Amino acid sequence: MSILVIADVKNQTVNPSTLELITIAQKIAKQKNLPVNLLIPFVNIGGDSYCASEFKTYIVNLNIEQYSAPTLVKHISNIIREVDATYIIGLHTPFTIDYVPSLSVILNAQCMTQIHSLDVGESITVIRGSHAGKLDQHIIINETPIIITILPGSFEPYTISEMQNNNITTIDIPEVDKRVNCEFITKEMTDKSLDEADVIVGIGKGIGSQENVSLVYEFAKVFPHSAVAGSRIVCDYGWLPYSKQIGITGKSISPKVYIACAISGSSQHVAGIKGAKTIIAINKDPYAPIFNVSHYGVVADIFEFIPQFIDFVKGKQNL
Amino acid sequence: MDKRLKILVCIKQVPDTNAVVHVNDGIPEYDDKTVYVINRYDEYALEEALQLKDSGVTLHIHTISVGPARVQKVLRRSLEMGADEAYHMLIDGDAINNPAIIAKAIIQFAQHDYDIIFTGVMSEDAMNQQTGQLIAAMTGYNYATGVTELSINKNTIKITRELDAQESMVYELQLPCVICVQSSINKPRYPSLSNVLRARKQEIVMIKPDTMIPNKKTNCYFTVPQKTTQCQFIEGSVSQQVSQLYTILHKHAVL
Repeated sequence: MSILVIADVKNQTVNPSTLELITIAQKIAKQKNLPVNLLIPFVNIGGDSYCASEFKTYIVNLNIEQYSAPTLVKHISNIIREVDATYIIGLHTPFTIDYVPSLSVILNAQCMTQIHSLDVGESITVIRGSHAGKLDQHIIINETPIIITILPGSFEPYTISEMQNNNITTIDIPEVDKRVNCEFITKEMTDKSLDEADVIVGIGKGIGSQENVSLVYEFAKVFPHSAVAGSRIVCDYGWLPYSKQIGITGKSISPKVYIACAISGSSQHVAGIKGAKTIIAINKDPYAPIFNVSHYGVVADIFEFIPQFIDFVKGKQNL
Repeated sequence: MDKRLKILVCIKQVPDTNAVVHVNDGIPEYDDKTVYVINRYDEYALEEALQLKDSGVTLHIHTISVGPARVQKVLRRSLEMGADEAYHMLIDGDAINNPAIIAKAIIQFAQHDYDIIFTGVMSEDAMNQQTGQLIAAMTGYNYATGVTELSINKNTIKITRELDAQESMVYELQLPCVICVQSSINKPRYPSLSNVLRARKQEIVMIKPDTMIPNKKTNCYFTVPQKTTQCQFIEGSVSQQVSQLYTILHKHAVL
């Protein structure tokens, strides 16, 4: 039996958040006394430091341009059987979630996604957000193999020691389908405001309409180095451009202060704000999940609170 | 021979985002006043099928929802938006949030009879993000998730998959396939009056689920989420809250 960590891919290279998965794997390894193996799903994606690590590493001999979920699933499940992996750990990103659940069908395994914490003791319990983030679902693992995907930013990254042990196995794929050709498209982000701002003001669905967005821009203006961002739904509605979207499918931010206005705080959004040093939430619903991850909470209607706040700051500045 | 493509759109009904849910002895219970709506991501999936039809691709659009009696409301909505036929598989209880059971139920109905099966990228309530992938893995269909653009060319479908705000992947899939739609793909329509009137006369076809082997028993319970931060609530009237927050922000040297 063993633990297998599947590396995630970001910008066509190994996603550094893969190290967070190793932290979890080590936790389970310690309790269950199992070895940890790493799997790099493609060649030429910069997995060198992982290959030189203390962990046995498997590399699938497939170019990322030849990505096909069924092909990858077939070969990864072979590796899983070979190493008798009982805990298979992936990162919960759009890239990895595309193929990892399919492994559960071939392996007749349970698959639990979007895990944000683990209780590792006599038994292992994985915890995920459910009911639109309003509740936590605790699943006690009583059967293996189990496949889990972990929300990025939920655990500290593991520091791998580069021992140059080169304990690497390359998995060759016979008959790669040559017709498969994936193209990667990277949009240039001209909007750097979210990277540079000290204060980011986030807008949620509770803003109600595009007309109201200007109120939040007014609010942001009271801070010297600020920017406005939003949750996915606000961008879906066209109230903000997608370049200002925060979350798993958008940007991750790390300002000094993040102010979430009328944002309920789904785990999809919260995953993108973990880097913020201080999180302040303003929401009229005292039970909004955003308060669970905030340092300061204001239970108030943003349409009352924000105009008064702007006036208050202007009053101070005129003194 | 009918050369029209057959499309199945899988639709879940979910509590609307304002729904209040309590936990009673580890079991979640929604408030009686809860309003149920079409899962937003599935609405985008249906809209995408409808837009393919509008663009001149000849196709039949069927919708299916697996769930309790109340899901007929979203199936009716799918007919109003323009689906040709709607099917309801009656299943109740915990199973409705179990992607493996839902995938099996959908396959039981679909019987390899569809060229494209659409789903939303996830459900807004359970957020498992698995049903589409499981349908594909169980049927051997090609598939893609997080799809934000697509175009059909005879037996292939070219898709764009969103990876994050900046990066996406483009590739082709052979039909039949499963497409899990991401929200930025389109703007769902409001039903036209003529469609609403037409939908009134349409029947929602009931399907009996086969006796299903339940998924491996999971030992699971629910709680209100633990706070990861010690949130300090700023109390008082709005004006008191304003001055206190100002002081806090001032201390954090951002104001």
